[in-house]
Amino acid sequence: MTQFVAILKDSFREAVDGFVIYAMLGLSALVILIVGSASFEPVEPDKAFQSIAQRFNVHFPNKGASRVVSASLRNENKYAAQDVAAAGDGYKLRLTVKARSGTVTNDEHDPAGGDSFRKAVAAWAKPPGSTVKAADLAKSFGGKKGEEAAQNVPDIELSFERNATPEEQRAVTDADMAEFLVAQFRTHAGTSATVARAAGVAEPEYAFDVTAAGGAAVRGWPHKMEMFFGAVTVSEGTNLGQVLWIIEDRIINGLGAAVLLLIGVIITAFFIPNMMRKGSIDLMLSKPIGRTQLLVYKYVGGLTFVFLVTAFTVGGIWLVLAARSGYWDPGFLAVIPILTFQFAIVYALSALVAVVTRSAIAAMVLSIGFMLFLYVIGQVKTLFDVFRASPRPERVPDWAYNLVDGLNNVMPRYKDLDKLTTKMIADGTLTDAERIVPGLTAIDYPSWGATFGVSLAFIVLALVLASWRFRTRDQ
Amino acid sequence: MAVIETRDLRKTYGTLEALKGVSISVEPGQIYGLLGQNGAGKTTLIKILLGIVRKTAGEAELLGAPAGTVNVRRRVGYLPEDHQFPYYHTGRSLMDFYGQLYGVSPDDRKRKIPEALELVGIAGRMNSKIKTYSKGMKQRLGIAQALLHDPDLIILDEPTDGVDPMGRKEIRELMARLKDKGHTIFLNSHLLGEVELVCDRVAILQRGEVVREGTVAELTKATDKFRLRLGEGQAFPTDVVARLGYAVAPLAERPGTFEVTLASGQTIDPVVRLLVEGGLSLRELVEKKESLEDVFMKTVEGAEPGVDQKVRTVQQVQRVRAVGGEG
Repeated sequence: MTQFVAILKDSFREAVDGFVIYAMLGLSALVILIVGSASFEPVEPDKAFQSIAQRFNVHFPNKGASRVVSASLRNENKYAAQDVAAAGDGYKLRLTVKARSGTVTNDEHDPAGGDSFRKAVAAWAKPPGSTVKAADLAKSFGGKKGEEAAQNVPDIELSFERNATPEEQRAVTDADMAEFLVAQFRTHAGTSATVARAAGVAEPEYAFDVTAAGGAAVRGWPHKMEMFFGAVTVSEGTNLGQVLWIIEDRIINGLGAAVLLLIGVIITAFFIPNMMRKGSIDLMLSKPIGRTQLLVYKYVGGLTFVFLVTAFTVGGIWLVLAARSGYWDPGFLAVIPILTFQFAIVYALSALVAVVTRSAIAAMVLSIGFMLFLYVIGQVKTLFDVFRASPRPERVPDWAYNLVDGLNNVMPRYKDLDKLTTKMIADGTLTDAERIVPGLTAIDYPSWGATFGVSLAFIVLALVLASWRFRTRDQ
Repeated sequence: MAVIETRDLRKTYGTLEALKGVSISVEPGQIYGLLGQNGAGKTTLIKILLGIVRKTAGEAELLGAPAGTVNVRRRVGYLPEDHQFPYYHTGRSLMDFYGQLYGVSPDDRKRKIPEALELVGIAGRMNSKIKTYSKGMKQRLGIAQALLHDPDLIILDEPTDGVDPMGRKEIRELMARLKDKGHTIFLNSHLLGEVELVCDRVAILQRGEVVREGTVAELTKATDKFRLRLGEGQAFPTDVVARLGYAVAPLAERPGTFEVTLASGQTIDPVVRLLVEGGLSLRELVEKKESLEDVFMKTVEGAEPGVDQKVRTVQQVQRVRAVGGEG
């Protein structure tokens, strides 16, 4: 253990000796400062609940269990939030619904059969019935514009509430309506609510007394966002969760992670070749430590260094984001071990190249090339999966599908780790609706087990080969 | 039990035989010197002893255990030739790092590090980065790190390389003190005078083979020559001495000094008696012995050089190639 700690400290000392680490930490501190300069001002409660209620015309059948998006294209129900007042750690309000009387179903028109609100509640409680793919619907608009629209819509299915019969609509109870609205608050605002129908309002209008918990720091609450301590207004009323998602996933986990990994690879590429330099290696090998141990400790030293830098950067951003927004999302902290694991994949190859060539430049160049290769394989695999599920899978030849599938199966799942991190951040920041409607839940996510298993197998293989070479070679 | 014991030790790199059956034995408490030209196999031998290089055949033991094992290395201190310390360390932090690798306790490290650095004379700079050290200071640091864990065996490969004459003397004295404390020292040095001064036994390695081995006294045997000098203004009775059957010659490099060579079975006593009885005052009488350098030069003279080839002219190279002497 003493030797392990000694080599960790030595690796860290080596890393902090150069200016690159200070540039990296300076960059991290700058990013933390920029994120810390962001302010998130919640929109006033009455406007916020009004905004949230407008989203209720979109729901998800089967009591929210379905990933099919059910929407009223004409916004038949007019939702409104009134009399919003603070209550405890949340708010009280009256939610009114002005529905269209009579209804149109797939089979019949029954002016006395119900109304658009009952229809929505009945359709929400049932499985989706007939659906249409968003892309197909877009195409049905016809022409080149339809084709273009089809390319841009998310990969989701739609239904249009037409499968609730007049009998089913009539059977909707007050409790069903309350359950529906509780689900809508959860789905669109990420808040828990209690709902009770208020008496004295004649159908097709409805009124509900609502108590919503969680104050303004809930995912779906619209916020005014400003940057640089109020100097620049970025958005006037975007949901808090969406803003956090863009910062955490797109900026930090996307761009920031790429920069951090790149610099991490550059700095650590020198660790093993420096140790193996003529004149240095004799000093190390004459000490009472096994070669495999020495190599593994050096490798772990590199990982620890990147882990600490990642922890500083991500932890700092997480802290200032949470402090500034009031929304604490522990899921974002998972980026720290996952990013370190991604680095572990690349650094295992770097260690192998370093042992074989003793060249820091070779280790650096091949590791960066490997990173890009894994990224490209992951991107192509994602694209091919889309093609495969499309009406014209034959646009890509079978051998190309097989090649990419084969490579993806045996290579470390670098891109899959990205996908899983994105999902984890989305789960922690976005409302259900914000994840379902853009198709984030329709993505076929890889399993954690396979992603880590195959990647770990690669790391072990690379280290075993490096260790074998290191042990059997005269220095 | 020998501290170092090798038997018919061999090492081959491809077609090159670096060691061709080396057998040596180093006893506890000895300072053992290893001499040889560049490429003679000295460093290869040391590296095999430490497990840095694998042997091809033969036996090598250190402190009674197979050479190169982790447990044996714990009891050995090593200063490699042309070492390069991690530039990002200070003298103290490097010692601390190596001390941890050797399993020296924190308390011992705290106490021993300044002591060891003081011993080699660089304690005043122990908090400076190694990249600011001179070559001599790095060499001293290298010796200090080899002593830190109080090893039974200390292997020093060119310990005085880059060190000034004063520093060399200090290092020689340090080695003598370590020997007195019971440490065994295995020394590899090109400085033959130094080896002669400090070593108990010496081996000369040539092209991977031990060609001479023994105590310094055994190797530097008497030459049957005496150097004599008389008092100021006195003439040396060259003819009389020659008539006694001795060969006499003045030494050109030392005016007034004569060299008397004994024939087989002769002693110098009759010459001394003759001078004293003749009323001459003898100011200098020195029995000439071969220096280790003489022995070494004689041993390697005529032998093929090591990997460092002798400088040749282009014409010489062409001549050798023309007769097929070299591929």
